[in-house]
Amino acid sequence: MSNKPVVSIVDVKRIYQMGTVEVQALRGVNLQITKGEFISIMGPSGCGKSTLMHILGCLDRPTSGLVQIDEVDISKLDDNELAKIRNKKVGFVFQTFNLLPKLSAIENVELPLIYAGIKFDERRARATELLAMVGLAERANHRPSELSGGQSQRVAIARSLANNPSLVLADEPTGNLDSKSGAEIIHLFKQLNDRGVTLIMVTHDQEIGNQSKRLVRLKDGLIVSDDKIR
Amino acid sequence: MINTLEPLNIAFKSLAGNKLRSLLTTMGVIIGVAAVITLVSMGEGAKSYIMNQVGSWGMGSNSITVQPGSGDATVPELTLTLSDATALRQKVNNLQYLMPEFVGRGEMVFGKKKYQPSFTMGVSADYPFAYKQAAVEGRFFSAADEAGRKHLVVIGKTIVKNLFGNYSPVGETIKLNGSGFIVIGVLEEKGTMLSYDMDDMALIPSTLSESVLKTNKIWEMFITVNNETQVPQAMAEIRQILLERHKKEDFHMHNQQGLIDIINNILNALTGIVSAIAAISLLVGGIGIMNIMLVAVTERTREIGIRKAIGAKQFDIFLQFVFESVLITMTGAIVGIIIGTLAAWGIMTALKMPAVIAWGAVYIACFVAFLVGTFFGVYPAMQAARMNPVDALRFEA
Repeated sequence: MSNKPVVSIVDVKRIYQMGTVEVQALRGVNLQITKGEFISIMGPSGCGKSTLMHILGCLDRPTSGLVQIDEVDISKLDDNELAKIRNKKVGFVFQTFNLLPKLSAIENVELPLIYAGIKFDERRARATELLAMVGLAERANHRPSELSGGQSQRVAIARSLANNPSLVLADEPTGNLDSKSGAEIIHLFKQLNDRGVTLIMVTHDQEIGNQSKRLVRLKDGLIVSDDKIR
Repeated sequence: MINTLEPLNIAFKSLAGNKLRSLLTTMGVIIGVAAVITLVSMGEGAKSYIMNQVGSWGMGSNSITVQPGSGDATVPELTLTLSDATALRQKVNNLQYLMPEFVGRGEMVFGKKKYQPSFTMGVSADYPFAYKQAAVEGRFFSAADEAGRKHLVVIGKTIVKNLFGNYSPVGETIKLNGSGFIVIGVLEEKGTMLSYDMDDMALIPSTLSESVLKTNKIWEMFITVNNETQVPQAMAEIRQILLERHKKEDFHMHNQQGLIDIINNILNALTGIVSAIAAISLLVGGIGIMNIMLVAVTERTREIGIRKAIGAKQFDIFLQFVFESVLITMTGAIVGIIIGTLAAWGIMTALKMPAVIAWGAVYIACFVAFLVGTFFGVYPAMQAARMNPVDALRFEA
């Protein structure tokens, strides 16, 4: 694996204004992530996990500090440029899958490709390939309501990989799944990571966290530990 | 850059996924557009029907109609006489035909049969030319017959049927109001106009009106000049001659253009009122669409969040929602046009009037629907486009 940083975060602070109260969600976080890593971010609720995820996913900008993704400083980008980064460089996997219920599995996988401006034939081929990779080729035309939780999450993973992103962010990806489906998802993540996909996973489940290669713990908006575990 | 057809496709899919709501939202536009198209098409049909009727009555662009009375709505005193007609015939320049009408009652007797036609009129020998209605059997009386006060009558087909049955009446002698008349011709069939049977008509020389029809007053005088550019001058001359003779303006006249102008003014005013009503209904439809779109934006906050998270730009989201709104109104407009055209066609066919597709109204309806869809879609679409993705993803429906 190369040591080129995919993500570089330096002294990142994020302060929310809740009415008259200032909430310091992140109070100076430093994190370097290189290509091919599989990181778990853990911590109690309110520790800033979600805020960190949103900033890593270019959904939000830090109040101060430097955030680079593939050596591009995202804090200086406007909304449309951020959208482009989200589309090309980041893949999201959510706890509640967040598939569009009116679209079939394959159409859901195609969505990032549509916003990337890829023509129908090409994106259909790519989406078919991705669904096959997550083992759902035969469910391509089913809607999310016709899929199990584990299947839905696999569709979501296929979607997150559509544009060959630099990193995949997973926010409690097993949180809504039974333990068997959860284990399957983690297994899939490991396979993807073996193929070189950079994965960042937020979880509060120690067992799930232990499956990754590096474990980062957050508390009160600061990183309290950062260990290689495998 | 995303292909512009994609948001259209996305918009179409989300409308198709919500069929009942899409249909109900469209309804306002459908009803509005259908109503306009029906009414405007009927108006156009009625217009062409009336214009046709005016044309078939022999009015041409070179014609002038002179009527007794001041031309206001009251029942006129009959002030024009045969000597007025004679004076006009002698003095008006470029005169082509002059056709006074004396209207009276005629009791006809042939053998043992009696018949009273709807119209018995004293007219000039110019009648077949002025009104473009020739005698198809026999002949019309000539100017010499008229001047010589010959007891000749030309009759319509309805009278032939009632008085003679299948016999040819030409050459037969009948009694008209007690005096003997020779039938010299049968008029070309004209059918009905404004529900009057125009073939139930007998015509005698105008010079016999006073003695036979007991009237020396002209109901109306139809005059044509050699070409339409001479109409204004002829009208001025007629006015001057009649004023000299009558010493007051107890007559009025109009030409075809005047009549067409009046009809057009009335129909245009009606169309204007209809359009105003339509504009209101489209406005109401548009507000309904905006309301639904705002609900849809709130309801689909999470969808918007997901789309933004995977790379939709503000403009992509904006286009998606504007296209939904435009699709709703355009579909409504097209369905409304089809329904309106069919309704107008059905109604006009039932009324035995020509059905005319009001293309102008069709284009305007499409254009207005497009504007309404865009206008009322922009605000909700902006709301959607401006959503913060983090908040949108957290939204629980």
